[in-house]
Amino acid sequence: MDLPDKLSRRRFMRLAALSAGGIYLFSRCAGPTAEWRFFTSSEARLMDALADQIIPPDEWPGGGESGVTNFIDKQLTGPFLRFQSEYRKGLKGIQDSSETLYHQRFENLNWKEQTSFLELMEAGKMNEPVWADGFDLKFFGLIRDHSMQSYYGSSRHGGNRDNISYKMLKLDYPFIVGQNRYKS
Amino acid sequence: MAGKSILHKILILAIPLFLIVSIGFGLFYGYWNSASPKKTCASCHEISASVEMITQSAHRNLACKECHGTALSNGVNSLREKGMMIINHIKGVADEDVKLNEVQILGVMDNCTRCHKTEQARWLSGGHSARYQDIFLNAKHNKTEQLNFDCLRCHGMFADMSIGNIVEPLDTTGPWKFKINSVSARPVIPCLACHQIHLAGMPQPRPDYSNPQNLFYGRITSNSLVSFYTRHDKIHVSAGNLPILKLWEGVRLVKVSSDPIMRNCIQCHAPNAGHQAGTSDDRTPRGVHEGFSCITCHDPHSNNARQSCNKCHPAISHCKIDVKTMNTSFLNRSSPNNIHWLSCTDCHKGGRRK
Ligand code: HEC
Ligand code: HEC
Ligand code: HEC
Ligand code: HEC
Ligand code: HEC
Ligand code: HEC
Ligand code: HEC
Ligand code: HEC
Repeated sequence: MDLPDKLSRRRFMRLAALSAGGIYLFSRCAGPTAEWRFFTSSEARLMDALADQIIPPDEWPGGGESGVTNFIDKQLTGPFLRFQSEYRKGLKGIQDSSETLYHQRFENLNWKEQTSFLELMEAGKMNEPVWADGFDLKFFGLIRDHSMQSYYGSSRHGGNRDNISYKMLKLDYPFIVGQNRYKS
Repeated sequence: MAGKSILHKILILAIPLFLIVSIGFGLFYGYWNSASPKKTCASCHEISASVEMITQSAHRNLACKECHGTALSNGVNSLREKGMMIINHIKGVADEDVKLNEVQILGVMDNCTRCHKTEQARWLSGGHSARYQDIFLNAKHNKTEQLNFDCLRCHGMFADMSIGNIVEPLDTTGPWKFKINSVSARPVIPCLACHQIHLAGMPQPRPDYSNPQNLFYGRITSNSLVSFYTRHDKIHVSAGNLPILKLWEGVRLVKVSSDPIMRNCIQCHAPNAGHQAGTSDDRTPRGVHEGFSCITCHDPHSNNARQSCNKCHPAISHCKIDVKTMNTSFLNRSSPNNIHWLSCTDCHKGGRRK
């Protein structure tokens, strides 16, 4: 056998066994599929609000509508696996601090309050113990970078819904360019 | 002979066990293939997005196996793909970016053509059904332009291999041959180059028969019909989200149709990077037909434009002659008056005929 993707007999048997087994296993997760992969729905609501603060909506959709939350959620179960604990801790921290400072959940604060909250974070001036060792500044940086990656990256990664940022920047996507056509 | 009796015992145990498992599997497998996708395929969240999309599309009433076959019918590849998904599923790594490989894409395409015979026949009669052997072994082309990765953007977009693993040698002297012969008859522009299936669409409603005048106003405009597959990102972009070409004739901005379908065509039939009219493979209409979409003349599958003139002429003809008999590339391929950029002044200089 000289197929491009080789599959040894042993590997085949292993996969066959797993597939058969797996089909039985499926029934275990047959319940309603969760809306998000990593985030809880309340974390996701918070993420939407944060994403809008970082990329505010104007005549173009902001971070929230553009799918930042979906992007981060998707990446957290893939390439960003290592940031899971930071997100869990950080999002809880934001919600707790918001309750302490304003007696409200972050997404219910008005626009200005949300902005000044995040300005404190960015400056590393949060007081609660979760933010010790500059975690406020670090976590803010993480959300900002990931939001930007989502907004300006390829939509295949889960963000940049309908290639909104490319349209905003008047970039052709996909780029229109012909082959290097010779004249016969 | 202790060894032998142990083997014996194992065999005695193993055979019935094997039978029980097989029967159980058979029953389950039967259920699996006939039950609603919501209960089966979709229960695996890695593919629930694909399922959600299709329930909103024109194909919403079809079972997964109508296109994908069953877990076993596609042989080793399908089994391997599903096996990998299960391994990752157990590991907790979501592998949502499950993509079909080229062989699977072509397998699915064989199913499309089971139902869409007309489109298949038309596609077969036109240039878009070209095969690998027609595009990559063309000596004239290969001598002039060296084969490179970018060739696969417009033909061979689903190839799982790099150009160097398809053809050798990668130079301009040749002779060229395929590294794996099985690719030679594969189509370079399969149905899926222009169509996405797992796409939220707008099924048309049944009309109000009692009042035919209302039909027009009840129709839904949908752009879900056509997409373009970009090899670079391995995703489809629906026609409505594709960019409209900005084309320059010298310093003049050409009026280009905003028809979403033409945005698909010009991804491949494209001008050079400077977007100058007539460069590279550009055929954007200018002159008398400026602003028209490609498919006002070309059938989307056969590409045939033979019958199209009658749709508009001679009713709108200025010259009071049958346009099909006039001196254009429609009548004669060596005519200097290319149908794509024909203008009045090509034939009438200073108000008079040349
Ligand atoms: C009308 C044919 C058709 C039907 C019915 C169909 N599929 Fe697909 N499927 C395709 C095609 C074509 C692709 C390749 C990507 C695309 O066009 O969206 C695909 C791709 C996929 C993929 C890979 C992910 C991707 O988007 O590339 C998965 C997973 C999948 N299908 C699952 C399913 C399941 C589950 C069902 C049943 C609910 C189903 N399909 C029904 C045609 C079909
Ligand atoms: C089992 C038969 C069947 C198979 C297999 C099938 N189709 Fe269809 N397809 C249909 C029917 C029926 C409709 C019309 C549905 C409607 O408009 O309600 C349709 C509609 C379409 C449309 C028009 C979509 C729209 O939004 O109006 C396209 C494009 C299409 N099919 C392409 C494909 C492709 C590509 C494949 C293979 C991946 C495929 N079909 C496989 C039966 C099938
Ligand atoms: C931007 C898309 C695009 C790219 C990139 C591209 N082609 Fe093509 N190719 C086309 C189109 C469109 C045609 C139809 C030509 C026409 O008649 O306008 C074509 C036609 C052809 C033909 C048919 C014969 C001919 O010369 O028209 C061959 C062979 C071919 N291409 C080979 C290649 C090779 C080899 C490469 C890479 C060096 C390449 N193409 C890159 C779009 C492309
Ligand atoms: C080069 C791009 C291209 C390829 C390749 C292509 N199609 Fe299409 N297809 C189109 C366009 C464009 C339309 C929309 C036509 C329109 O709206 O007038 C279309 C429409 C359709 C429709 C809907 C027809 C209707 O009247 O609603 C079906 C079904 C379809 N295609 C099936 C196929 C099948 C099957 C194949 C492969 C054999 C295929 N297409 C290959 C471009 C393509
Ligand atoms: C994925 C790239 C691609 C797309 C999209 C595409 N074409 Fe083509 N087209 C080609 C290539 C490559 C050839 C040359 C194939 C050959 O060698 O015969 C071609 C050939 C043609 C031809 C000349 C051969 C014939 O069949 O008459 C016409 C006309 C044409 N295309 C029209 C269209 C129209 C109209 C559209 C949009 C609905 C379109 N094409 C979309 C790549 C593309
Ligand atoms: C006014 C009708 C009309 C329109 C609009 C039109 N074509 Fe054509 N096209 C024709 C006719 C007629 C032919 C055959 C005669 C010829 O080759 O000039 C043709 C031939 C072609 C060919 C074969 C190569 C060649 O030039 O001989 C390609 C490729 C092509 N058209 C692509 C396109 C594309 C892409 C568009 C849209 C950007 C388009 N056409 C718009 C009428 C049209
Ligand atoms: C969608 C409608 C449409 C189609 C299809 C179409 N044409 Fe035209 N054509 C026009 C219009 C409109 C004009 C006049 C433009 C103007 O007034 O500047 C025109 C002008 C012309 C002229 C200039 C002479 C005259 O009497 O106006 C020629 C020649 C011509 N077309 C040839 C063709 C041929 C050949 C075809 C078939 C391949 C074709 N056309 C298909 C709409 C069409
Ligand atoms: C392919 C060449 C060609 C093109 C392009 C063309 N014409 Fe003509 N036109 C002719 C011919 C041939 C005649 C008839 C012989 C003559 O009168 O010299 C004619 C005749 C005419 C006449 C006189 C008709 C009558 O009443 O007898 C008018 C007016 C005219 N053309 C206008 C136009 C306009 C406006 C355009 C562009 C929209 C155009 N033509 C494009 C070739 C062309």
